[in-house]
Order: sequence, then structure tokens, then C-alpha cells
Amino acid sequence: METVIKDYISSELVRDPALLPLADETSLLESGILDSLSLLQLVVFLEGRFGITVGDADLLPEHFASVNTICAYLRTRQPEKQAAHG
Amino acid sequence: MGDGNAGRLLRKAEGVVYWAVTAPVLGRMPAPLGYRIACRRGDWIARRQPDRCAEIAGNLRYVLGDDLSPTAAQQVTREWFRLASCEAVDVMRLRHSGQALCRLVEIRGREHLDAALAAGKGAIICSGHFGSYDSAFSMLGAAGYRVTTIGRWQHNFTAGLSDIERRFWDRVHAQRLRRHRKRPNIEPWPGRFDVATRAASVLRANEVLTIVIDAPPLDNDKARAMNVPFLGHQAKLVPGVVTLAQVTGAPVLTGFLYRSADYCHQVLEISSPLPVGGERATAFKRCAAEVSAAITRTPAQWRYWASTADLASLGLVREERDAPRLPELLPLSEDSVRSDRAPDRPADRLAPG
Repeated sequence: METVIKDYISSELVRDPALLPLADETSLLESGILDSLSLLQLVVFLEGRFGITVGDADLLPEHFASVNTICAYLRTRQPEKQAAHG
Repeated sequence: MGDGNAGRLLRKAEGVVYWAVTAPVLGRMPAPLGYRIACRRGDWIARRQPDRCAEIAGNLRYVLGDDLSPTAAQQVTREWFRLASCEAVDVMRLRHSGQALCRLVEIRGREHLDAALAAGKGAIICSGHFGSYDSAFSMLGAAGYRVTTIGRWQHNFTAGLSDIERRFWDRVHAQRLRRHRKRPNIEPWPGRFDVATRAASVLRANEVLTIVIDAPPLDNDKARAMNVPFLGHQAKLVPGVVTLAQVTGAPVLTGFLYRSADYCHQVLEISSPLPVGGERATAFKRCAAEVSAAITRTPAQWRYWASTADLASLGLVREERDAPRLPELLPLSEDSVRSDRAPDRPADRLAPG
């Protein structure tokens, strides 16, 4: 999961090559990698790739602060997805 | 009215009285009479603000150049004040169901909006700070569309306003517009990073999202701003509307509200969808060209002529013209100029009125 997300962010959202390679704990907000529109791109990617829906209430900076926090957020959503499929 | 403190206070008081008392009365009068009186008030304001008239006329001439003679610039300036006064009447006619305004506005191109929504991905209406754009968005809501707007309420970000003033403008202005909109405005404050995702939520619900694209970029948006042809110059504008459309698949239509020569009737022209696929810069240039064309068609309807600072931020006038000649003047009045937190201010939206 970390690799998939990191690859997407590195290839699609990072505009400053100096920020590469991207560390799991790099702050995506403070580094300027994520702004309003790139967050949307990321959310659309995550929804498509992991089969979840990110609601407005989940659009919190702490969920998208870094690759690590994104993965942690996704893990909290995986049980819901599995339950839905189960 | 002089330029001293007393003059400024008088101007502010007149603006408050106009929005709180006069315009609501005008909005209940027969339309030809109400708008005629609003025009008279605009003429009166213009006569008493020669410096501001000179600034507007100077900006018109500077940006539009030889396309506008000095005499024409004066006429457009006078018209600018008239239209600003009429805008307040538009807002007041949105009372209750909004039909008092809807009756005066012909919507052309409604079929384009209906067809766009039929595709199920929502619709983005792209416009500018042009005419009674805010009333137009609310009027679409009154006409049965579920409308949400990306944009800040001026009273929420103008520096130096007291809580009482913010509440006042919220009550006399924003509240009347807001009641016809599906959701609260999505206000793009610096550091607010969920604007685009909330906008996408609107589109996913197959609703209408309105956005004005001619605002000077915020400091933290300047890196994303593009230089695009605009009013015969290169302007710095943020192409977020195209990114949003490309990510969500929503079509982008333009919408401009043109006021007729009788001042009370208006036409809201909605275009067919603009091509927004492919290269982002190219697609955004198309959007900017549409806004530019609308302004060129009726320049008096563009709000930013009154703010040299905003024109400079857009890159349309030289920085040395950017001297904030009226910085000390009170916001939300005819003197409204770019605030410290400026950006996508609904420039003079409340103001000229």
C-alpha cells in the first residue's frame, strides 16, 4: 500500500524534484506537495485504487499529512470495505 | 463629499443606508421605477467621487487602450456606478422565492445546462466578477437548480471590519443570496485544503457548481497561476476550474448576466460546454478568453476596474500604478479596495451598491 501511494504521489503530484525520493513521513502539506487540487487528485486515485469513498467528514489534514497517515487512514477504512463485501 | 474622515464616514453611512433601507424599498417598487432610481443614485455617487471616477477611467484606458476613447471611458465609468447601484436592487429582488428577480431575467442556453446535468456528472458554470454574478448564481437556484458557489463572502475576509459590520453585511447581502443556494459557499481560504474535494462532492451529487476565474491569485496560489491572454494583456489566473473538470469529468459552461439598456431586464447567457480535455493551459485559455470576451463586450459590468491593486495583481496594470490610493477608506462601501487578505474577493460586490 505504501509503495503504491508513494509511487502515485511521486509521479503525479510532486512538482519539485528536490522533494524526491519521497519518505513515508514527509509532510505532504508543509512541503507543498498537497494543495486543494492535488488532494482531490489523490482522493480520486485512492477511491479508485482501494475501492473506498472518502466522505467530506474524512477530509482532515491529519489523514493526508504523509504517506504514513494516508495508509493508516486507509487501514481504518479497509474493515468497512471488507464488511461491505462480506 | 470630501476626502476627510467626515467624508469617508458619510460615504460609509450612505452605503449602509442604501443597502439596509433604500435598496429593499427599490426592490419592492415596480422594476422600471426601482432601477431608474438606483441609476440616479449611481450618478449621484459618481459625481461625488471624482477621484474614484478618474481611477476607474484611467484603468479602463490603460487596460483597453485605444479600444476606448476618453469620452467612452467616462461613459463606461458612469455606467459602472449605475450598475453597481442596480446590483443591490437585484439582491433585494431575491427575497422569498426570488421570482421578483427571475421575472426580469431571461435565461438563454438553459438547454445546455440541462443536457450537462443529464450526463450525471454535475456542471461547472464558469464566470467572472461580472455584473450581478452573485445574484445570477442565486437566481439559478431560485429557478430550480441545486447551486453551490466557490467563493468567499467579502465580509468574511475584509480586514478591519467589526463583528457588527460583518453581521450587518451578512444579513443584508449574503443571507439573501445564500437562501437560494444548495450548500454554503465553499470559501477558498489560504491553507484550506479541502476546497476542491468539497467542490467534487457537489459535482458527484450532480449539482451545479459556480466559480469565478478572474480573481487575483492568493499568495499561496501564485505558483499555480498561469499567464493567459486576457483583455489584450497577459493576466495571472489560477486554472483550478480546468483541473477540477478534468479530475471529475464535469463539463464546464460559461454564464454571464448582461443588463439590458432599460437596466431592469437582464439576460443570463449560458454557453454550451467548453472543451476542457487535453492540455490544461490550452483548456484554461479558452475559459479565460470567454470571460475576457464578456468584459470587452460590456466593460462597465466588470468589478475590478475600481481596484488598481487587484488589476496589478492580475498583471493587467503596472505595479507602479498599484499605489493603494484609497487604503484608508472603509471597506464595503463605494470606497472598497483590495483588503490585506484580498484574493478572490467579490470585488466591490457589496461596495458600489
